[in-house]
Amino acid sequence: MKTTLSGKLTTLLASGAVLMLLGTWTVQAQESLTVMGHAVHQSVSTEGEGGNIVAEFEEANNASVEWLTFGVTPLHERLFREASLDDGNVDVAFLLNRFANENVANLFEPLDAYQERDPIPEFEGISAGMKEAMTFDGKLYGIPFRHATHGLHYNETFLAEQGLDGPPKSFEEFIEYAEKLTYEREDGTQVHGFVLGGQGPANIMDVIWASGGDFLTPDFELKASEPGMVEGVALLADFYERGIMPEAYIGFTTEDVITFMQQGRVAMSINPFGRHTPFNDPEKSKHPGEINVTAMPLSDASGVAGVAPVKTEIWALAIPRNAPNKELAWQFIKALSTPDATVRAAINGNGPVRPSAYDDPRVQELVPYADAEKLAVEVAKVPLPGFADSAKVDDMVKEEVQAALLGAKTPQQAMDDLTRRVEPLLPK
Amino acid sequence: MYKLRWYHLLMISPVQLLLIGFIFIPSIYVLWLSLHQSSYGTETIYVGLANYIFIFADPIFWRAFWNTFVVVNIVVYGELILGIGLALLIAGWCPGKRLVISILLMPYAVTEVSAVVMWRFMLEPDVGLINWLLDSVGAGQISWATSRWQALGVVSVLSIWLTLPFTFLILYSAVTTLPRDVVEAATVDGATRFQTFWNVTLPMIMPAVLVALLFRYIFAMRLFSEVWLLTEGGPARLTEVLAVYLYRHGFRYQEFGVAAATGWVMVALSLLIALYYLYQMYRRMFRDA
Repeated sequence: MKTTLSGKLTTLLASGAVLMLLGTWTVQAQESLTVMGHAVHQSVSTEGEGGNIVAEFEEANNASVEWLTFGVTPLHERLFREASLDDGNVDVAFLLNRFANENVANLFEPLDAYQERDPIPEFEGISAGMKEAMTFDGKLYGIPFRHATHGLHYNETFLAEQGLDGPPKSFEEFIEYAEKLTYEREDGTQVHGFVLGGQGPANIMDVIWASGGDFLTPDFELKASEPGMVEGVALLADFYERGIMPEAYIGFTTEDVITFMQQGRVAMSINPFGRHTPFNDPEKSKHPGEINVTAMPLSDASGVAGVAPVKTEIWALAIPRNAPNKELAWQFIKALSTPDATVRAAINGNGPVRPSAYDDPRVQELVPYADAEKLAVEVAKVPLPGFADSAKVDDMVKEEVQAALLGAKTPQQAMDDLTRRVEPLLPK
Repeated sequence: MYKLRWYHLLMISPVQLLLIGFIFIPSIYVLWLSLHQSSYGTETIYVGLANYIFIFADPIFWRAFWNTFVVVNIVVYGELILGIGLALLIAGWCPGKRLVISILLMPYAVTEVSAVVMWRFMLEPDVGLINWLLDSVGAGQISWATSRWQALGVVSVLSIWLTLPFTFLILYSAVTTLPRDVVEAATVDGATRFQTFWNVTLPMIMPAVLVALLFRYIFAMRLFSEVWLLTEGGPARLTEVLAVYLYRHGFRYQEFGVAAATGWVMVALSLLIALYYLYQMYRRMFRDA
């Protein structure tokens, strides 16, 4: 039988159409899940020696995960807008405790019923304090996934150049180190002894707590005007005035701190332990392998050797009330919350929300700061409890601390003004 | 005299519908929102003029208002003076005219984010090129991170650099279309260069100047990125402008009513300015023509 050219073409087109239909059917059979978070959430669950946890979830559930990633503040702005709509597109969202409060909680599903019906394995192994940070009116709105706990990062080369042996062992020694590490190197680079990422509670509380002070307790007791907080602010103002902290610090962003550490323009900084990786990134850092991290030391005044309480922030997985695929969303949360997933994400650079992860041999082997972080996590606290006006209070702290740094107010005046402004905003 | 017919209305209706859909209705919604207390996850409550009373009683709002007033006027008039000067210079004798115009237009192609990052780096106290140069000639450094007025100065310069091409293009097109015989007649009558500019050129390009002023005032009033990316309104909210104040209340504090009220104050200010300049344009172009 003779086949004409048009006949061949018809057969080819028909085969193509069948294949396309089959392909479409396969894609349609896959359920789509939209996850909104920060880029770091995507990287710690998909890249690194811990493997791709999300790919395994996709395969097990015949699902396709689409990530929408943003910076911290834009992420929450976008998330709250999306979650306020009648019909939503986001199935799972990463929510930071700093942005969560009793009003915002109304935009998300309480997860207690999901946990009761289809529980996360060894749920009690997830830090109780972290779960508490996501509980409002007795209901759990987020499953903790990641913590960002602060440690003291230091450049070992600079310590050696200034004749300092190992990291500081007390808060008083830390102050001496900061002074000694403010110097000009032989190549003319000005090194500043110390820097923080900003002036808000999330940045300064480590120094305030190490100075024996506090700002706002979890039960909303305001302590801004008390000696400990005033002394901590006075110390920062003194550091700033003497150039121990760079002049541009007052307008610093997180990225600026990373750049300063990578460029070797700052010797010590208090930052999340996970920053150890970018600080030592051989492609971006002038000091790869030279920047180490330890837990913040306690003050000698405490009378015991140990680590000081530091700031921690918690990212939790939440399901918006208008999520189109809530059941699959819960399966995703479950997949990322198992003990094994916690360990593997930790290997990929995540702060594990299960303390037991630090004892895992894989974490011990692959995370160089695992022991130090474990010590810090045991005493870490959230800098500001979640309440409706917490963002305003955060800005007020920043304003008053900046006024003290610039010398426009004494630390005591600034903290008295802060107390006067914050008090009316606190939950009664 | 043309008579308005139904098909005339039909032809302009798409634009009118766009204006109603995208400007008028949202404005009315924002006005309604400004009379309510509204946030995520809470019920919207009618509060009358409470949001307006709140912002007018807030010293930070007034600081933002005056910062906006200062920066907008520096930017608009700075651009105008530079724009006229450059337009006259380039329309007259200027070697490599096309190249110079291309260079002048370049900043308009740079995104605000890139521009601010670039300027921020050049003004960095330790390693910034501009601060290093100023320091080496003994002029000291620009402390944009710590000084309110120096920061607002940097914002003004940056904003002028970014948007000068817009003003320049309007003025340059006006200057190049001036009738040469009028200018030559003034020269023949013995007018000096300044007299020719002041009495002949400037009045003739005045409609273009008013158009440039009107647009730039309205655009400059919305100034946000330059301040937000450079200082975030700091230190201690000293460099905040109205758009940053609005953003902070709307998106950071989730107080949509306060943000909407601020938005309406900005709209009212823009309308006042626009009314004055539109009246001037009407007077010069039609009534007194």
